[in-house]
Amino acid sequence: MSFVLEHSYLIPLLPLLAAVVVGLFGKTFLRGWSHLPIWAGVGAAAGLSITLLLGLVSEKHEGAVGFSTVWFEWFRAGAGDSGEIVVGAGSWIDPLTSIMLAVVCGIGFLITIFAAGYMKGERGYWRFFAYLGLFIFAMSCLVMGDNLVMLYLGWEGVGLCSYLLIGYDQHRLAASNAARKAFIVNRIGDFGFAVGIMLTWYCFGTVSYFGSGLGGSDGFLEMVMHWQTHVPADRQFLVEWIPFALMLGAFGKSAQFPLHVWLPDAMEGPTPVSALIHAATMVTAGVYMIARLGGMFVAFPDSLLVVAIVGAVTAVLGATIALRQFDLKRVFAYSTVSQLGFMFVAVGVLAPVAGVFHLVTHAFFKALLFLSSGVVMHATGGQLDLRKISGLKKHLPITRVVCLVGCLALAGFPVITAGFWSKDEILVGAAQVSVLLYVTLSITAFLTAYYTFRLYFRVFEGPEMFPQSAGHHGADSHGHVEHDQEHAKHQDKPSKHEEAHAHHHNHEPLLLIAPLVILAIGALVVGVVNLPFSAGVKAHSLGHFLGHSPSFILAHDILEVRGTSIDATQLATQYGQPTEKYAKVHWVAMGLSAVISVLGIGLAFVLHLKDRAKGDALAKQFAGVANLFERKYFIDELYNRLLVGPLRAIAYLLDALEYVWDGLASLIAMVPQAAGGAIRLTMQRGYLQGYALTAIVGLAVLLWWVLV
Amino acid sequence: MPTLPEIGLQHYLFVGAAMFSLGLIGFLTRRNLILMFLCTEMMLQGVAITMCAFGAYHGNMAGQAFTIFILTIAAAEASLALGLIVLLFKERHNVDSHAWKQLRG
Repeated sequence: MSFVLEHSYLIPLLPLLAAVVVGLFGKTFLRGWSHLPIWAGVGAAAGLSITLLLGLVSEKHEGAVGFSTVWFEWFRAGAGDSGEIVVGAGSWIDPLTSIMLAVVCGIGFLITIFAAGYMKGERGYWRFFAYLGLFIFAMSCLVMGDNLVMLYLGWEGVGLCSYLLIGYDQHRLAASNAARKAFIVNRIGDFGFAVGIMLTWYCFGTVSYFGSGLGGSDGFLEMVMHWQTHVPADRQFLVEWIPFALMLGAFGKSAQFPLHVWLPDAMEGPTPVSALIHAATMVTAGVYMIARLGGMFVAFPDSLLVVAIVGAVTAVLGATIALRQFDLKRVFAYSTVSQLGFMFVAVGVLAPVAGVFHLVTHAFFKALLFLSSGVVMHATGGQLDLRKISGLKKHLPITRVVCLVGCLALAGFPVITAGFWSKDEILVGAAQVSVLLYVTLSITAFLTAYYTFRLYFRVFEGPEMFPQSAGHHGADSHGHVEHDQEHAKHQDKPSKHEEAHAHHHNHEPLLLIAPLVILAIGALVVGVVNLPFSAGVKAHSLGHFLGHSPSFILAHDILEVRGTSIDATQLATQYGQPTEKYAKVHWVAMGLSAVISVLGIGLAFVLHLKDRAKGDALAKQFAGVANLFERKYFIDELYNRLLVGPLRAIAYLLDALEYVWDGLASLIAMVPQAAGGAIRLTMQRGYLQGYALTAIVGLAVLLWWVLV
Repeated sequence: MPTLPEIGLQHYLFVGAAMFSLGLIGFLTRRNLILMFLCTEMMLQGVAITMCAFGAYHGNMAGQAFTIFILTIAAAEASLALGLIVLLFKERHNVDSHAWKQLRG
């Protein structure tokens, strides 16, 4: 472990090197082997991260744990009134970092393995893997950085990779539009983030979390406890805006209402990308940010209230929309939006351990679900419409099992899945703050269980409906014609190429299945790391581990001084701080969430497996509401009307004005042009004598001027 | 019997200036390329006389040395210019400078 601490730069550097190698030589030399350097680079990073995590876990700790390493001084700027800003590139390694790194690099590695099988034979194979390497680089910078500027570097880096990977299939209009949408919506959030960084520096004079080390007061998270003494008096009115500005960035990146619109469209990207970037890692950056900057947020409680409310609204919004989506990946996309809402509620109600716990379990089961939808897509030739596929269990037996595991975890099926434990903790945390919040989230959890199993029962159970195009692999020409028509109809849908899988009949090649199985095991057992009671493993292990992170300690200190309505033992548990006794186990809440989950699954069973006609009839009966959900509350339309339309009108107006300005400028340019023309026509006549006379007159004038 | 004044600097300068001016007037008024060329030669020789005069006046050889160079160059230039005029004549069958006015571009 000390090796990793000393050479922490290797974790971002190795994937970056791999990406550079693939970027330079992928097109010409590596071609179909482009995944190898990325496997090596990301695999090494994953190995280092897990070594680091295990090392930190196995050591006995007292109090705060954090290792600061400065790699090099990145830049310094500004002077005079506001002082100089010195930004170092360096890492801050504490329990929170190590967990994030293990998730990012570990799941990232599994997904690069999956991607090698999934993307086989695609055009631009090398490009895809170069971007993946770059993504892991940026994401590890994001979670490792020891200051806000490093966080911002990673933040923008993952945004760039997200853009590049969503638009990977550049020839499809829908893909490039989705890529641009993702980038632009993120810009709105990132603007707030940038303002937040500037304000932090303006108020605290530093952007470093903990400065040169723990115990001092040269990092802004250390100063925030007594910010009144650290911030110059004339700047104090700005301090409370910092968390609000930073929060905007988190909302953008983590697809929270009202900036959630980009995430579902991002499903235009290849499925491994959806799994890695738009489910497991990048979109959780906002949760990481709020957990990391916890002190900054808890010092200004209004900001956390906003975070919790936005999270709850997003959770409900995502879950209700997911009820009526028919594209497999879109259901999962809205489910991701909804689950991210849960995590935001967790950090908002002073339960960051629960937020990070859910982040970890969600990374497992959502990556698993996305990858299984990738296998389905691979087998059905790009067909993901719930109404067109059914009963695939015979063709995809392993996928069915792992997908069932993922669905159970997402639905929060009691006891045996990781999702149950993490979601339960968030619900408990929410109940401490407000009953309304608890009820809202419970209803959302019910909807989650329902829509998850609606999808599972439709796709894997029931009468078989396997798209013909995929079933016969173009062996007869009829099947092929059908397929082409299918393609023509669904040009806007992401369509997996058909050539690659036409060569083999096994729908579940090892490269695709192995990562799925690992993730499925994770989705079942990861829950044990943070059980609310001792059962073989100690209770709240993850919480106590995370509690050594100075971010959590400092935030908890502020809360202790300020006081909250939450019971002290419970609060300490939610921040992973040591307490005299364990917080009491909330058996009632746990029982309720178990019942809710099973009820949701049961309802889905009735409406989507036992009697599908009844389910469809019910949807018809409530056509109005169903349509509202199906059209995503018309938010996209609203944005188009309210924002895109006027902006476009302004653009047209400016374009028209451009002609006017341009005309004026041309008019000015016409004066010398006309003068030149006049001289050419009158004086430059081609008569030698004329030129000679001009020269002589000129000479005479010159001489007269010089001599007289 | 009145004695003629001794020939001094002014006289030489007057001759030089006169030659230069006559050449200039000729260059501006004539359209025949050969005559125009001769006129430029005359302007050149006017300058050469002036140079020699100043050289003698100041008691050094710089003027004469310059003139030798000017004569050499004038010889080379004369052969070139005449050659050009012959070519131009072949093209248009006259030596009128106005025949080439379309070269104004």
